[in-house]
Amino acid sequence: MHNSILRSPWFCGLMIIAFFAFVIFALIPVYVPRPAFIPGFAPPPDMWPRTISIIGAGLGILLFILALLGRMGESEVIESDGAPRTVQITRFIGALVAFTAYVWLMPYVGFLVASMALTGAMVLLTGERNYRFWILGLSLFGPILLQLIFHSALGTQFPVGILTKQFGF
Amino acid sequence: MAHDILYALQAVATWQNLLIMAAGIWGGVIIGAIPGMTGTMAVTLALPFTFYMEPVPSILLLVALYKGSTYGGSVSAILIKTPGTASAACTALDGYPLARQGKAGKALNMALYSSVIGDFISNLSLIFLAAPLAVLALRVGPPEYFMLMLFALTTVAGVSGNSLLLGLISALFGLLLATAGEDLYGSFRFAFTEDMQAGLSVAPVLIGLFALPELLKLIVFRAAHKNEAAKLGDQKVTRSEFMASLKSILRGSAIGAVLGAIPGIGPSAAAFFSYGEAQRTSKNGSNFGNGELEGIAASESANNGACGATMIPLLALGVPGDVITGVMLGAFMIQGLTPGPLLFQTNIHEVYMLFIGMLFSSVLLFFAGKVIMRAFSHVARIPQSLLAPLVLLLCLFGIYSIASSMFDVAVLLIMGVTGFIMFLLNIPAAPFLIAFIIGPMIEENLRRALAISRGDPSVLISSPITMIFAVLIVLVVGLTVRREFLKSRNRKA
Repeated sequence: MHNSILRSPWFCGLMIIAFFAFVIFALIPVYVPRPAFIPGFAPPPDMWPRTISIIGAGLGILLFILALLGRMGESEVIESDGAPRTVQITRFIGALVAFTAYVWLMPYVGFLVASMALTGAMVLLTGERNYRFWILGLSLFGPILLQLIFHSALGTQFPVGILTKQFGF
Repeated sequence: MAHDILYALQAVATWQNLLIMAAGIWGGVIIGAIPGMTGTMAVTLALPFTFYMEPVPSILLLVALYKGSTYGGSVSAILIKTPGTASAACTALDGYPLARQGKAGKALNMALYSSVIGDFISNLSLIFLAAPLAVLALRVGPPEYFMLMLFALTTVAGVSGNSLLLGLISALFGLLLATAGEDLYGSFRFAFTEDMQAGLSVAPVLIGLFALPELLKLIVFRAAHKNEAAKLGDQKVTRSEFMASLKSILRGSAIGAVLGAIPGIGPSAAAFFSYGEAQRTSKNGSNFGNGELEGIAASESANNGACGATMIPLLALGVPGDVITGVMLGAFMIQGLTPGPLLFQTNIHEVYMLFIGMLFSSVLLFFAGKVIMRAFSHVARIPQSLLAPLVLLLCLFGIYSIASSMFDVAVLLIMGVTGFIMFLLNIPAAPFLIAFIIGPMIEENLRRALAISRGDPSVLISSPITMIFAVLIVLVVGLTVRREFLKSRNRKA
């Protein structure tokens, strides 16, 4: 992903312009309603987000122009294991899938099991295969230990799963 | 006043508080010693636990973690040439060569002595400067506060990352995100779901933004280092070695105290400045970079010297100078305390307890550093591939426990991905976070100022104080642009 379009200042500028334009023209009109009555000379609720977004879009345009003129420095190269960009993108998507699956699985398997699965998945996604005992310990006993600590010390009730509640977690 | 101090001394000097501070210092030293784990992470990970504590012990725990991690950063810098925190980068320049010469223990001891002295002097500067500044701050109104916060944000944006422009854009993202939820007059903004009507909580946003991108970087780029730690070897710092470095320690402490008090500067810049000054003025200047104890002394006294001083603008003005004090501002607010000038009127006991606790923590830092020194070489070798998922696990349980909310857990994960994308786009995260935390205060003061002036924006530059801040903002922007221009010209040449 290093030296890619994503890391170039002009692309960054375009993304920033697009984001703030979306906020100004799509989000603020719908999601920042103006109340019927505003006391005194108080500015309306959309004043501040609109001001921020207009300045943000302006700075995005400035960044884009400076990048085109070659006034923005090149991005630093990210240190990596030298894997091709497609592999790096696949790894990123893998992490996103793991995060999404964690939130999606939670109601079914409960907080404890979902956290075990996510921790294990994360260790494997880092490419670590050497410390098998530690990986197993971290993924299985780490969440159990933390649940015991938080439950006994702070009284936190973690969500149980539809499929696992008969086992108590 | 004497009565207040005695009361605070009694309240702080309990076994419970001392244990909390000792745990904070030890935890901070261990976390700071692990490459890839920063003081910010140490403080943010501890935040959920403070919800269940009394106000003063909870802040003392965070302060102790901050101090411990700042010192801990020197450990991996000396033993494996990998600074645990950015502020220990200069320490590696002389610490690692000393370790290679079989004097790692000596280097660690010098780092400890310098850190403790710097820390103590910094605490004194906080105690003597915060209250007068708070008295001054009581005389200012919403326009002055707005300009002060704008100045702090501009400075942070200027020193974070490689570009002022990207720093400012990052701050704007943070300000925009802070507008989500109910506003001053009861309107709901960006309430996409029912959970968002109350806005986003500080903890999941900041923990997600700072702790999780490291895990994603490791997953995507897999550039973990395999580190071989040096043995401790010769440990004792002789009296003559200490005396030869004393001048640099005192100067470094003063530099740390001054630069730490300026919003946006912080320990890293203080350490670099102090190291440069020591190298320039020392008779052993030519030996800097080859294993000079004075270099370690200059760097470590300055970075720990900035720790207490960063609390000056936070306590006196309610303005965080860096990310860690930004997190602490969140912790204060969670505990029902509002940092700023009024804190010195409404919660004077708590303020004195905090001051005394910080002095205690300097002493504890010395003993904790001494006791844990033997374990350092093991701590610095923990592989990041196990550490990063462990951090994620702590984040998940910690964030859920704060409000028993799965929405907060989802926000944590989303902010982690956001932080990673910001890293890819070269957008620094620090201005985002500080803007997110002080965003509601900035908006409130701006809207109050405009309401008072009947909508006239010139109120923002109508008094001498607002004009001074306006000039300072222009100066910071001008100097940063000039620095970037020179850097770009040098690069082309």
